[in-house]
Amino acid sequence: MKKWTLSRIWEYCKVHPKVFAGALILFVFLILSLLGQVWTPFSVTKMDPLSVSQSPSLLHIFGTDNFGRDVFSRVINGCGITVLVALLTNLVGGGIGILVGSLTGYFGGSFDQILMRINDMLLSFPSVLLALLLISFLGPGTLNVVLALGILFIPSYARIARGEVIRFKDRDFVRSARLQGVSPLRIIFLHILPNARISLFTAAAIGFNNAVLAEASMSYLGLGLQPPTPSLGRMLFEAQSYLLNCPWYALFPGITIILMILGAALLSEGLKES
Amino acid sequence: MNLVEVNHLSVSFPDDDPYDGIEERDTIIRDVSLSIQKGEVLGLVGESGSGKSMSALSIIRLLKQTARIDGGEILFDGKNLLSLSEKELCDLRGLGISMIFQEPMTSLDPVMKIEPQVAEALRLHFPHMSEAEIHQRVIKVLQDVGLPDPQAICMQYPHELSGGMRQRVMIASALITEPKLLIADEPTTALDVLIQAQILDLLKEIHEKTGISILFISHDLNVIRRLCSRVIVMYHGKIVEEGETLRVLDHPRDEYTKTLVAHTPRVQTRPKDRVLLSMDKVTIYYPPRSFESSLFKKMPLEPYVFDASLTLRENEILGIVGGSGSGKSTIGKVLTGLLGTYDGNIQVFGSDLKEVLKTPERPQMIFQDPGSALNPSRTIGWTLMETLRSGLKARRKNETEKEMKEQILSMLREVDLSEEIYDRYPRELSGGQRQRVCIGQALLYDPEILIADEPVSALDVTVSSQVLRLLLSLQEKRGMSIIFISHDMSIVRSICHRLLVLEKGRIVEEGDTETVFTHPQHPYTRQLIAASML
Repeated sequence: MKKWTLSRIWEYCKVHPKVFAGALILFVFLILSLLGQVWTPFSVTKMDPLSVSQSPSLLHIFGTDNFGRDVFSRVINGCGITVLVALLTNLVGGGIGILVGSLTGYFGGSFDQILMRINDMLLSFPSVLLALLLISFLGPGTLNVVLALGILFIPSYARIARGEVIRFKDRDFVRSARLQGVSPLRIIFLHILPNARISLFTAAAIGFNNAVLAEASMSYLGLGLQPPTPSLGRMLFEAQSYLLNCPWYALFPGITIILMILGAALLSEGLKES
Repeated sequence: MNLVEVNHLSVSFPDDDPYDGIEERDTIIRDVSLSIQKGEVLGLVGESGSGKSMSALSIIRLLKQTARIDGGEILFDGKNLLSLSEKELCDLRGLGISMIFQEPMTSLDPVMKIEPQVAEALRLHFPHMSEAEIHQRVIKVLQDVGLPDPQAICMQYPHELSGGMRQRVMIASALITEPKLLIADEPTTALDVLIQAQILDLLKEIHEKTGISILFISHDLNVIRRLCSRVIVMYHGKIVEEGETLRVLDHPRDEYTKTLVAHTPRVQTRPKDRVLLSMDKVTIYYPPRSFESSLFKKMPLEPYVFDASLTLRENEILGIVGGSGSGKSTIGKVLTGLLGTYDGNIQVFGSDLKEVLKTPERPQMIFQDPGSALNPSRTIGWTLMETLRSGLKARRKNETEKEMKEQILSMLREVDLSEEIYDRYPRELSGGQRQRVCIGQALLYDPEILIADEPVSALDVTVSSQVLRLLLSLQEKRGMSIIFISHDMSIVRSICHRLLVLEKGRIVEEGDTETVFTHPQHPYTRQLIAASML
């Protein structure tokens, strides 16, 4: 087995530029969002009546909003929350989805049939609609958004995990593990799922994208994160009334969302190809 | 006179490891010169990767885009093929040279009826031929390849035909333009033993009737011996020996050819009297496939093996033979517990099979395809460690990580592998190495009964006899009993004490190997033996 030394990683990146570009973009955003949690050039919530709606300058590189808050500070802080929500959502959805999908795929039978029909039912609703429904039960708030989106993500993960488990469960190496009396759970998680890592990772990258978008659209509709917590979607929503007077207010959060999604999309596509 | 002449041909491919950053080319064929005379059947043998298929593909100029011909010339009927344009090549393919491939299912178009597929070459090369004439030609060629009721077959789709019939259709579509050379790339490898013999006879008959030249590529020496008058042996992209078939196969001069024709090892042990395993009138069912039965509709179980009775004694190697679909693997699946739906009594070590399957003494299995029997995303060490761990757990023993690793390394040595294998992934090993790992894995459990389901049929000839030798020496050393499932009569003859012949789920013959071979009772057994004989 060759070691993943720095030079080898570099070779890999040269062969798979998409993975490299995607990972780089996501890495920059990760650093920015971490930074945004501990330090921002200006206060995220403090309003400043003296600097309302200023266009980008050296002092406020992304400009200021209608309350005089620094857009750059709010973007990097909001980024962190968006990334956190996206990761948690995928953790919830992916965790439950992979568990359910691989169990039903491995054992099959009526259990599988019933759960998969429920899965189809969930998939047949427009996802934002379903999320809105859940939120109206749960009430808005960061944790509730995570929960609602997470539940929505279960079916797609379950599908992929189930498909992969079915693809591998009749291979001889799984049979041979069964012959040695390895327990089913151990077979699923230690023998089969490592083989599905590429598909699952791709699914996670796509899921990350969807979560960023869903969080943004829910916040945009006013049902996601509540003010004054800065969220990229919320900022877009607030900026919409000032689109003509101060376009930078909408522009920079928008570009941030696009770049983040681009990064994850590049990464997932590159991984699929390699 | 020579129909084809290949002079000093070299072909290379780009290096397939993109990570090292250096552009290299792997030479697949080195300085190969060969000739095919008019009306000759020339055999080309060698193991996988020896360049035999590549040589044939370069004659018909069907190499992959990345391949590069580095030197040499290929003359067909006096014309240099390397200087022809793509259009001239198209005329030549089909009219001058035809080819048949290994897998008849994938080389026929599944959504096209048989008639248009067979007629396609005619339509391409003779655009003015009338429909009636085309139809006549198709019917005639289908008759020539021995297909019953050609009128009906014309209107069928490939999936409605059996494997043997499909291969006949392939041959028909290759012959319809009456080419001068037929290249047959392992045309019988994917087929059942009996069908294989029929297709070989057909090719022989066609050759005798039409005088077509055939370049026959195979890894199977018996097949070559049956069909070819002259043979060329390739190894690592080079020709190592060439000559009359009988001379080369019976008195090889080259070292590699010698290992190729070396006989399969013979079993040396004698079985003892103690019966380890007995099946008494067992009928085995297959559960319906999942798409056939649903939540609301239960499908009945389908019987697959009927009233099978057998006994396995201590230290015995019992062969189970039969064509594909005869149910021989099914018996193996039941004995290892992979399939639990059967009626009847199976006793192992004096207790019921279902009880034994819960203990660590359960029979272990060696699978046919070592490529899929090892987890591709785990190292060999991990996989073996997992086996050993569950074995120890079942025996309620505890060992430290270090002791376990030591045990695995000694097992690797026992199956003639180096210790470095421990940290490798399956894809880094050759087929023979993988099968050795699988044998080692089964032995880590220290089973008394081992079930080997076609353990060498996915391997090259030379590797196969090495693996068999290993299996026999381990059997002798450990005193195991082996149930050896195979379709290869010549292997079975030399390594099994006793034989069981299965036809369509029924045991039709049973007896000592030599008795069965010298005095076969059932017609099916006779057919099998005849198909494998030279």
